[in-house]
Amino acid sequence: MIPQYGVAIADVVQGVLSWRMWARLGWQENKRRYRRTVLGPFWTTFSLGVFIGALGIVWSQLWKLDLKTYLPFMACGMVVWAFVGSVITEGCMMFVAAGDLIRSLKINYTALACAVVWRNIIVLAHNIGIFVLVAVYGGVSLSWKMMLAVVGLLLVAINGIWICLFLGLLCTRFRDIQQVITTVLQVAMFVTPIFWSADQLGGRAKAVVDFNLLYHLVDVVRAPLLGRAPSNWTYFSVLAAALLGWSLTLVAFSRFRRRIPYWI
Amino acid sequence: MTSLILDNVTVDFPIYGAQKSFRSALRAATGGLIRREGADRRITVRALDHFSLTVKHGDRLGIIGHNGAGKSTLLRVCAGVYEPSEGRVHIEGKVSPLFNTSPGLDPDDTGYENIVTCGLFLGMTREEIEEKTPDIEAFSELGDYLSLPVRTYSVGMLTRLGFAIATAINPEILILDEGLGAGDARFAEKAKERVDALIERASILILASHSDDLIKSLCNRAILLQSGHVITEGKVDEVIETYRKMNKLPS
Repeated sequence: MIPQYGVAIADVVQGVLSWRMWARLGWQENKRRYRRTVLGPFWTTFSLGVFIGALGIVWSQLWKLDLKTYLPFMACGMVVWAFVGSVITEGCMMFVAAGDLIRSLKINYTALACAVVWRNIIVLAHNIGIFVLVAVYGGVSLSWKMMLAVVGLLLVAINGIWICLFLGLLCTRFRDIQQVITTVLQVAMFVTPIFWSADQLGGRAKAVVDFNLLYHLVDVVRAPLLGRAPSNWTYFSVLAAALLGWSLTLVAFSRFRRRIPYWI
Repeated sequence: MTSLILDNVTVDFPIYGAQKSFRSALRAATGGLIRREGADRRITVRALDHFSLTVKHGDRLGIIGHNGAGKSTLLRVCAGVYEPSEGRVHIEGKVSPLFNTSPGLDPDDTGYENIVTCGLFLGMTREEIEEKTPDIEAFSELGDYLSLPVRTYSVGMLTRLGFAIATAINPEILILDEGLGAGDARFAEKAKERVDALIERASILILASHSDDLIKSLCNRAILLQSGHVITEGKVDEVIETYRKMNKLPS
């Protein structure tokens, strides 16, 4: 396959700029969830809330942790994890789900990826309510550092778009990969410091945290919400992932973008 | 100047997940169109074989051929959906393909919401969509139903809505598949007028159809396709004549 870098870059630039398209797609998806159900997207929030509440109480007992400090930490981690995780899983099936559209119109693929990320940001905005409640209970104090969460979210979104494009491409061609990713994510939830804190690991095991991109994607949003700045290593990892990920995606995208309609 | 040039275009469809026995069955059934390619001996189906075509402003091109002759693939290549495995496509002008009447239609959204979403997919701006909405309202004759979710519509109503949105565009190169059905007899008549007006606005029309009459009434050029090759091209009457002879039909 001859790479078409120009076409691939144009797709990305135009896709990101066509915010009217992706903003609408993401918004409508959430609006649809409000129809016919009373709670709408709050159902996800509700079930996530129950999960956090139950596990939080049990585990703080098991590990003899103070519920007032453990619960906000765990709630925040879970809410951000749910966001990162669903961007990844929905990204996998992104092109397959839009199959009819892709086969009947010449469509911008990056805009579809942006729609996936935006739709999940809206869900995150619902879920963040859990954290607010728990933070009030745990007495998390307000600080200016919380504003860094917005920067973090932006960094996650920038990574999220390439992840969607790359995995979407891969999973459209090789349908097994989506299953692999779902399985890996399930395990990763426990290996990544969501329920436990990164400093609880010492020695060589700490590599599980230091080189875990998922941890950095979560912590770049979570840490500011808990009132501390993410570490420089986290910022470095997230930025490096964005740079490497986008390069890798452009290499793949410029070669295989035009094959997507054939693979569906 | 709008134009559409296909230069030596080949389209191979990869077939994934074909079982071995199924593969040999396919090879026998399609008379060698299915082949294995590349180092990994991939199975592919060749839909267009070194195909060239030039369409210029004012052309109304009809595409005739059997099922599986490559008509739909050709339309999709012209629309930029499939980028060919070999060869080049040069397109000057905005292409508006109408393969189904409702790209991106969502059953849970209201008629009005779908007008906006489909309009965006068809390449209209928000302003254009707003400008066209009264026209879509009037043509679809759906009235207050437009405020209800589309899933509550009858099939005919859905067709009317999709058709009204799809035909509201201002096309330069219009690509039509004949399957653009249009509800009951009265609406079909209205739809025909609307398509005629749409074609009138377009600089180039490319139409695939099994209906000789449709091609005769709308086109000024025709090509006959078989197995991804052009069998003949030229005046509509002559091409249709060849097609009829091929099928041993009375002319």
